[in-house]
Amino acid sequence: MEKVHKPKKVFVQGPISPDFVSKSIASHQSKTNIGAHAIFLGQIRADKKETGLVSGIEYTAYEEMAEQLFHEIREAAFAKFELSCMHIYHSLGVVPTGEISLFVFVSSPHRRAAFEASEYIVEEIKANVPIFGKELVGEGGEYVWKENK
Amino acid sequence: MSLHVMYYGMLAEITGLAEEVWVGDSQLTVGGFRNQLLDKYPAMREKKFKVAVNQKISEDFVPIDAQSEIALLPPFAGG
Repeated sequence: MEKVHKPKKVFVQGPISPDFVSKSIASHQSKTNIGAHAIFLGQIRADKKETGLVSGIEYTAYEEMAEQLFHEIREAAFAKFELSCMHIYHSLGVVPTGEISLFVFVSSPHRRAAFEASEYIVEEIKANVPIFGKELVGEGGEYVWKENK
Repeated sequence: MSLHVMYYGMLAEITGLAEEVWVGDSQLTVGGFRNQLLDKYPAMREKKFKVAVNQKISEDFVPIDAQSEIALLPPFAGG
């Protein structure tokens, strides 16, 4: 029988804390069909720009469309890979350099599906979800718009 | 017909607006809308963007129905 996955809230305000990540791991200890977790964490890099270093990224999104696309990516990943569960969190607002803005957490009975699903999900998010980022440069209020390669 | 148009990221900086009501003719396509938009906001000619109609990224040939929600989306930066 096809399992129906409820849409889940993906966006969180500000950085994703290491504490939240560790609590998410702990909450899976009771799911004993899982043999492998894969976790991807996107961290803000201090890229060098003409006028200084990136001090953080301010994220905005077309939230309704983004939530719908996250849901479609989840459904596609469940269909393609043998997964027990999946969680995606992405920041909105300012995330300072060195902090986490994306947390993808997939669990499977076996490692291969977990590795492959995490890569698939991250690439889909980067290419297709309408999230916009302003790279804040230095402390003087300068910025440049970020574009995924 | 009237459309609900929304601007994101650097495009909202060009228009100075997050959203506006757009009055278009009934035969409007995405390409036709794009031309009207570039006439109104010439600075957008230098920008890359996609057009979403009712949350679906749409090519220029796609017709736009009355009451549609249109979003102008600059390059994505998630992750």
